[in-house]
Amino acid sequence: MSAAAVARAAGERLAAADAAGLNATLHWSQPLLDAEAARVDAMPAPGSLAAVPLAVKDNIVTTDMPTTCASRILEGYVSPYEATAIRRLRAAGALVAAKANMDEFAMGSSTEHSAFGRVRHPLDPDRVPGGSSGGSAALVAAGVVPAALGSETGGSVRQPASFCGVVGVKPSYGRVSRFGLVAFGSSLDCISAFGRTVDDAARVLSAMSGHDPLDGTTLDRPAMPVPEALPDLRGLRIGLPKEYFPPDLHPGVAAAMQRTRAVVRELGAELVEVSLPHSAYAVPTYYVVAPAEAAANLARYDGVRYGQRRVGPAGDIHALYQATRGEGFGPEVQRRILVGTYVLSAGYYDAYYRKAQRVRALIAGDFRRAFDSGIDLLLTPTTPTPAFRAGEKTDDPVAMYLADIFVCAVSLAGLPALSLPVGRSDGLPVGAQLIAPFFEDERLLAAAGALERSVAADAEVR
Amino acid sequence: MSIGRDEVVHVARLAELAVHDADLDRLVEQLNRIVDYVAQLDRVPGDGAGELFLPGPREVALREDVPGPVPLTRPPGELAPEFADGFFLVPRHGAMEEP
Repeated sequence: MSAAAVARAAGERLAAADAAGLNATLHWSQPLLDAEAARVDAMPAPGSLAAVPLAVKDNIVTTDMPTTCASRILEGYVSPYEATAIRRLRAAGALVAAKANMDEFAMGSSTEHSAFGRVRHPLDPDRVPGGSSGGSAALVAAGVVPAALGSETGGSVRQPASFCGVVGVKPSYGRVSRFGLVAFGSSLDCISAFGRTVDDAARVLSAMSGHDPLDGTTLDRPAMPVPEALPDLRGLRIGLPKEYFPPDLHPGVAAAMQRTRAVVRELGAELVEVSLPHSAYAVPTYYVVAPAEAAANLARYDGVRYGQRRVGPAGDIHALYQATRGEGFGPEVQRRILVGTYVLSAGYYDAYYRKAQRVRALIAGDFRRAFDSGIDLLLTPTTPTPAFRAGEKTDDPVAMYLADIFVCAVSLAGLPALSLPVGRSDGLPVGAQLIAPFFEDERLLAAAGALERSVAADAEVR
Repeated sequence: MSIGRDEVVHVARLAELAVHDADLDRLVEQLNRIVDYVAQLDRVPGDGAGELFLPGPREVALREDVPGPVPLTRPPGELAPEFADGFFLVPRHGAMEEP
């Protein structure tokens, strides 16, 4: 099939998704899709992603479409340069089909915090698709695109992947360049991949990966090859961290994990209970570190350099900054900027930020000790519940933050992890999370490929 | 620890954020809830002298501190209509005249 034909079919699916009210896209057009296809059809050797249409979260910069981060403050902003990940995916033959809706500046767990309206869950429009990369997850789950880019700061790909029943992979920190990813929490941010299958996501990740001189935190190691799925899990020791299986786990999630454990055992792996005691503090640690970094990173949106500008009543420069930011940022972004500024302010820095950085080291140390003891991978639920109803948590920020309770610690430790669909509870997908040691992304994907073949992702549990 | 209205106004000023009076009570309540929640970090044992976290291996965070050229995304010649011998060529605005 030519790229031109793929682009036409992708355009029809995008239009149908928009017409159905999914609200998962922020920018796309058939002429741009056709131009992408003409570029790929003219490539002499298009590469590993020849004519694969991808959706891209709207916080990854592209030069042919706006990049708004789903925020009024960046409405209409078009980047003068392209993200390294996008440049590499295009060089591999991928078609950038659409920019996907998201929680504003990637702050949220439900994609209800978009300035351009909430994204609907593809299986139940009254529920959320997860977040913050909810638009990308919904587009893959709805079959609009086979794969998509999201970004993770504290679980923003694995959590929506779990809610939507697709694969979501967060690479090791430093494996994929952050150049061109709009900064939120720079010590946490990772461009990550969604796929209908582990192999789809692995191909996207492989094409994006590798050292980039434009991002000083990428490791100077070669790009990740696409790993072959293992035939089984024999010889692997898989740890079950007891803190991730609390007694009040949603019964559907608990049943799906019980069935997954049985499949893992049938595939020949040894299951071992382990302890990650400091993971209990992952969410509070995250909600100090990430807002602190966000408060610094989002200082650049002041009405002078980017996007929208409002002139305040006093008419001076501070009034311009304050009015632009006060009207341009939505409530969740404002809350996080205020929390971040508070925890970094004189008198509170040691009590909150320094303390959180120390606890972060303890959380990472727990993982290191588990892997050093001979554990090859860890297995946990991705989320404590299946997708929740829209509006259920919007008035309670802490309740919303707790939706990320099983995914935050991995982000704080910089490890590779993925969410794999492992069953349905009352029709809603349930995801299992696999976690690997730092830079063992290939081991993670190869093992997930074996599990994917054997687990009944679409079968009801209970 | 509890955050009052004055503190929220002060932090908003530090963050260059205009906060409307009508939103203040809600913000005070939500920020207190968040700060109370993260305060549980005080329960983590330790004397506060532990190591701070660096993302990734130390080779990334603590590489040689040697300044070098910063690679540009595009060569400078693409940033202006005319570029020669390491200089951007601009239209002549006028000439210095002898008094």
